[in-house]
Amino acid sequence: MSAPGSFLPLEGIRICDFTAVWAGQTASMYLADFGAECIKVENQFVWNPMTRASSPRINAAMAKFIPPWMGGHPNDDPGPRPWNNCPAFIHVMRNKKSFTVDSRRSEGLAIVKALIRQCDVVAENIALGTLDKIGLSDDAIRAERPDAVILHMPAYGRSGEYREGRGYGSHIDSAAGATYLRGYRDSSPLANTSILAGDYFAGMHGAIALLAALRHRRRTGEGQIIEMAQLEASSQMFPQSLLDAAWNGRTHQSLGNRSGEGFVPNGVFPTTGSDRWIAISCRSDAEWQNLVSFLDRPGWATNPLLDTAAGRAEHEDEIEQRLQEFTANRDGYELFHALQAAGVTAGPVMDARDAANDPHLAESGAWTRLPATEDYPETDFGSPAFHFSKSDVRIRQAPCALGQHNDYVYRELLGFSEEEVARLVAEGHIATSYAPEVIATA
Amino acid sequence: MDALEGVTVLDFTAHVAGPYATKILADLGARVIKIEKPGGDCVRASGPWLGDEPGLERSGTYQFLNTSKESLVVDLKTPGGQQVIDDLLPSVKLVVESYPPDVAERLNLTYERVAFRTKAPMVSLTNFGRSWPYRDYTLTDLVLYAMGGEMFSHGIASREPLKMGGTAALLQSGAMTAIGALGAIHAYELHDIGQHVEVSLFETQAANVDRRSSAILGYRWSGRIHSRPVSNSAGVAGGVYPTADGHVEVTASGGPYWKRFTAMFTEGEFDDPKWTDLAFLASPGAREEADGIIYPWMLSHTMAEVWTEARRTHAMLAPILTGTDIVNDPVFRDRGLWTEVDHATLGKFPMLSRPYKLEKTPWRIRHAAPVLGEHTNAILAGIGYDDARIRELREQGAVA
Repeated sequence: MSAPGSFLPLEGIRICDFTAVWAGQTASMYLADFGAECIKVENQFVWNPMTRASSPRINAAMAKFIPPWMGGHPNDDPGPRPWNNCPAFIHVMRNKKSFTVDSRRSEGLAIVKALIRQCDVVAENIALGTLDKIGLSDDAIRAERPDAVILHMPAYGRSGEYREGRGYGSHIDSAAGATYLRGYRDSSPLANTSILAGDYFAGMHGAIALLAALRHRRRTGEGQIIEMAQLEASSQMFPQSLLDAAWNGRTHQSLGNRSGEGFVPNGVFPTTGSDRWIAISCRSDAEWQNLVSFLDRPGWATNPLLDTAAGRAEHEDEIEQRLQEFTANRDGYELFHALQAAGVTAGPVMDARDAANDPHLAESGAWTRLPATEDYPETDFGSPAFHFSKSDVRIRQAPCALGQHNDYVYRELLGFSEEEVARLVAEGHIATSYAPEVIATA
Repeated sequence: MDALEGVTVLDFTAHVAGPYATKILADLGARVIKIEKPGGDCVRASGPWLGDEPGLERSGTYQFLNTSKESLVVDLKTPGGQQVIDDLLPSVKLVVESYPPDVAERLNLTYERVAFRTKAPMVSLTNFGRSWPYRDYTLTDLVLYAMGGEMFSHGIASREPLKMGGTAALLQSGAMTAIGALGAIHAYELHDIGQHVEVSLFETQAANVDRRSSAILGYRWSGRIHSRPVSNSAGVAGGVYPTADGHVEVTASGGPYWKRFTAMFTEGEFDDPKWTDLAFLASPGAREEADGIIYPWMLSHTMAEVWTEARRTHAMLAPILTGTDIVNDPVFRDRGLWTEVDHATLGKFPMLSRPYKLEKTPWRIRHAAPVLGEHTNAILAGIGYDDARIRELREQGAVA
């Protein structure tokens, strides 16, 4: 629980957390950042895909063939516990606690129920029906804790013909209309590569729904069930495309990097170096004139036909070609600062190294340095994006390792004796590693 | 009952990100008083247009972002306008603003000023926060994603990095701002404290949205930079496939996913034992041979047929839908993806509905986005201004 005087928004709230992947795990992360005691329910006999690492047996030889956001463990060597140092997932474990229990066995289920009796929230986004199968239907949860707030985050909903659909962020993006809208203008969807925006957007909306339900509960004492279909939340990322289709029967095509808001130019252009780029937008005719002056008023740019956005849109190919010729032999960062100083909206396309070394992010407190553990060296982790002047919203506790808080949960919260704890270790409920057969076959 | 019943928000945001944050609060039951500058929120100039006819009240972007809000037009550059704000502050539970830091200071829209009148918290949404060197730099959705987001690894290796569709990056940052605002409301009600919460668009993208935080951490640990792939295909199957009438996105690598994917093929296409032999599946020719089975099968089925089969076998597969596909989808419609609003002057039209179902405090649009200044008189009357005072302020140009 959070310390008194830290003014945390969710002081006193405890979460029984069955979430997986990003959507669910980020939803509960925001609540943990706000001071809720978030207890991850984990199981050494069950490997949840895309939740702690790409694989429990990934090793140094395999890691370097996996893209760095997923495979970039410390020095590309995951060591004996890959589930405690995978860059794809470790940040969502911050401010959370982890305990293990085999909830598929009746004894384990009883332990989970005892925990739920002490929790205010139960959150899950595991495959539809899994919780019901192990005996934790909504009714069963409410039998233990009548005022629980229960968050379900199914891909397509708990009802309707699509409820058996399965997917990760890239699949939700596809069905929500995101994938179709984010290709190159001259290529078909076949060339599109996947990103994972849908996971994170759903995670934010899961947190929003929980924060709303918890406010209602604080005022009335009443819990409730939340159903957040990831598809429905993600569709809110593309209101312009959806409303144009609904109102005017028009199907939006991908614009590449061009603007749907009428900004011309709006594009990404090469700068010196290998794979270096700058994004440039003119939000108004005035910004365009600033750009023209910055370019030293070349003949092509002073053509009065280009004075309006509509006129520029008709010559957008040419404008982009000219800008590309201008940027190609200039340093992107120098150009960025010079354009902004001249009143033109521009910024470098920052790769991961640029972001890690960015002076502004360092200055604004975007990183939190955490000490080394047995699983990773001293590291700068990303901080919560909010700066609260009074509430202690920051990384107060390093990401939880598997089973790190077994002692706390079993002894302090649930009051098990030494003998009982020893027996639960022997029975396999309490662990800090996955079972060898799980590591071998997951 | 609404989840945010009794919460009044004084909303000084404009364009996309800030208004999305306050729309989220409004549709959950907060009373959001939108302070519009004379002439209105700049996003009123953004399409799509209702009936394809541009106009101050017809912007789809504005209509989506401002449901359930009230519009009060105030010129903050006038003493009368500033007095209106001072008189509104005591009754609010939250202030949200999205002015550039130098402009907020010029308009005296600072936390110190707010704190003088009310204990309520204030959320400031900026491009880059209050620190340097980028403090006064400007952003668009494109530049935000380029600098803060993971644009560098989106697209294909031989071409330029790509943005997302529409204004997705701004909407993501708006959702993050709503989380901060709800945290401020909880802290206020629980601890009886006001405070200043600062959120920058750049930071919301850099540290928290999409795989960006993972790419940065992966670089710190491995020295490797996540970049754009050569193509979308990886492993024996997966990526985008064409169907008879559209495309589908597939993940099929990894034991269970490969099994569920091949289970869609019911004519024995993948019965040969080599299709479960890991050494063969990892061999260079396996993809080509699998493509020889998958492409003809996909092309002989419609996207809807493939999607139905995928649900039967729980394959990790989804249809790549257009906006029109989504609007026409009867299953999405039956689930409640759409609702209808009744606008003060435009009548009824369809609007995107709820992002979540709350059992006891249902999400609901209480009314369509406001006409410019629709609630000016009612809001001013509500804080005790009589008709003569309101007329005087209108004549001064302080309100409209």
